[in-house]
Amino acid sequence: MTIQLAVSTFFGAFIFPFLIIICWDEMVKAFGAVGGWMAAGLIVGTTWTLNHGVGMIYQSGGAWVDMALAAGVGLLASSIYKGHSFKKAIPTILSSIIGGIGGGFIIAAFI
Amino acid sequence: MYKYIRLRGDIIKNFSTMIGGGIAGIFVMSVWGEFADSYGIAGGWFAAMIIIGTMWFLNHYVGIIHNSDYEAWVDMGLAIGVCGISRDLFLSKSFYPLLQSSPTIIVVVLGGIAGGIAATAVQKTLHNKSKNATQGLK
Repeated sequence: MTIQLAVSTFFGAFIFPFLIIICWDEMVKAFGAVGGWMAAGLIVGTTWTLNHGVGMIYQSGGAWVDMALAAGVGLLASSIYKGHSFKKAIPTILSSIIGGIGGGFIIAAFI
Repeated sequence: MYKYIRLRGDIIKNFSTMIGGGIAGIFVMSVWGEFADSYGIAGGWFAAMIIIGTMWFLNHYVGIIHNSDYEAWVDMGLAIGVCGISRDLFLSKSFYPLLQSSPTIIVVVLGGIAGGIAATAVQKTLHNKSKNATQGLK
């Protein structure tokens, strides 16, 4: 991975949680649950085009690193920065990771 | 008795988080790629709307993934990201792809943390601005 690719990967990962934190809740506040679907298309779809469609996040190896990882870590960091308890969230974090690994196992079983 | 009920609640809570994260990961890491391969950018954009829209509704609007006000927010993105990495590890049956991809993982995690903190800092100033505007103090 060159410096240029590292910079583009860093900012690709920067943009995604930034947009989610600033815009998603506001869209849900404005349009209700439908706002969540709009946000999925307008925020996630458009950022996917940038990060994976045209490739702003560079994949250095065989394991797929999705921009979702940036969102998961970024929203967690934002919440801790706001003062919510990291310690109390640990069981949920571990459960999410176990769920993700289980999902990966199930996909590998049929693909 | 009370302890038992609490323990049972905790188990169900974590179990539902696992199921929610697993389902979101399975959809994103198997269906999305097919849409993108078949219809290109338009397919990927459409996949984002139907998959993320539906999974967000399940996991965060209805709330299968456990989150409460005083706990740090755990997004389904974490489960989806872990699922993408683990899928390729299970497919290759080795840890070598993880080693190869670790530079990307480190940079993406750092970028995500920077983006999250920057957005929260920006959001605070936005809220102050709107509060001042409503009170007429500019």
